[in-house]
Amino acid sequence: MFASALPVFLAASEGAEESSGIDLLLPATSELVAGILAFVIIYIMAWKWVFPQITKTLENRQAAIKADYEAAEAAKVEAESLKNDYQAQLAQARDEASRIVEEARQAGESVRADVVARAETEATAIKERATADMSGERDRVAAGLKREVADLSLDVAEKVLGTSLDRGAQQALVNQYIDELGGLGS
Amino acid sequence: MESVILAASECDVEAEIICAPSDVLELFEFTKPLFSIGGFDFTRTVFLIFLAMFIVLAILYYGLRKGEKVPSKFGAAVESLVTFVRDDIAIGIIGPEGIKYAPYLLTVFTFVIVGNLFEVTPLINFPITSRMAIPAFIAVVTWVIFVIVGFKKNGLHYLTDLVWPKSVPLALRWLVGIIEFVSTFVLRPITLAVRLFANLVAGHLMLSLLLASGYIFVTAIPDVGLKGFVGVAWFVFGLGIYLFEIVVAVLQAYIITLLSAVYVQTSVHPEH
Repeated sequence: MFASALPVFLAASEGAEESSGIDLLLPATSELVAGILAFVIIYIMAWKWVFPQITKTLENRQAAIKADYEAAEAAKVEAESLKNDYQAQLAQARDEASRIVEEARQAGESVRADVVARAETEATAIKERATADMSGERDRVAAGLKREVADLSLDVAEKVLGTSLDRGAQQALVNQYIDELGGLGS
Repeated sequence: MESVILAASECDVEAEIICAPSDVLELFEFTKPLFSIGGFDFTRTVFLIFLAMFIVLAILYYGLRKGEKVPSKFGAAVESLVTFVRDDIAIGIIGPEGIKYAPYLLTVFTFVIVGNLFEVTPLINFPITSRMAIPAFIAVVTWVIFVIVGFKKNGLHYLTDLVWPKSVPLALRWLVGIIEFVSTFVLRPITLAVRLFANLVAGHLMLSLLLASGYIFVTAIPDVGLKGFVGVAWFVFGLGIYLFEIVVAVLQAYIITLLSAVYVQTSVHPEH
């Protein structure tokens, strides 16, 4: 089946070789003219437009990339200096803060010391006042007691003697005696 | 290929006339011109040549027109194509003065690559470089450039150093001289043109025959069983070749550009 088809193809190609030959190798005039025309038109475009255009494009691109790169470099430098500034400011702020804290601490300390001192002073004053009050009271009570003792002694003596005594003189006598006792006791 | 497939619908399997083109030239579009103006034949190939030109112009224009700082993907691709030809081929091979030839090399590369890729472009399926006109023209221009540059840079020494190479022993000098002369002035342009042309002819033939015969065998299924299988196999094989031809199309465009640059370089610095 396949073999039956083959001779036909072979015959066809043999026949073709006989008839064609040189025609395949020689350029046809119209194609030559068209080919030259087309080639020259492409050449003129390549020469006058493509290469100037691509050179311009690449140069512009190079310039643009260089400019971008330089801008980026400048921005980087600026960012670096800003960063340094910020860091310096931050350090300063930190110092400031610790100084403030230290000051506050010292102020607190001194306030505390002040308060303690005042409290102590006040306490001392209160204590002294209390002591003074107490001793005044004691003197007052002692005086009252002394008078009472003298009166009682006179009353007892009058009862014992059955007669009234000269109260003024006796009183002075008793007081003198009490004072002497007090003098002995102290 | 189109003509074969059209013909395939008319072929008679029983009579064993299997849609062979009447002439291999049919495969290469040697058909009647669509119309003629004053002896100039507008064939399909002529239209395809101008189509290739418009595609190249459009790609270059839309890729580069804005010249943006941040190019689009397409723009970046076109830019890298242009700078590849300029920096890697023109300057890379010829040297710093190679920049003068960059427009020529870019034209060769772009025009040929688009012309070659027409081979695998659906609905076109015909490489304009499989006709001799464009390869021949490029080869002639390259020849003219490297000969003029050779004489301009080195004066008559260009020719005398070539046919009477001092570094070769005297006994062999005349022989090497003849070989050098023939290879430089005769064979270089011929090989340059034929290399491109023949690669594309072969590729186009393979694709045409494999894909068309695949189609023909498959359409013959109702009549003869196994032919369908053979047809599918042909077709798959043809598709494999299709991928291969994409590589060939790009590679051949690169090679003709590279060799043009190398030939110019040998004239600029003949001692190398």
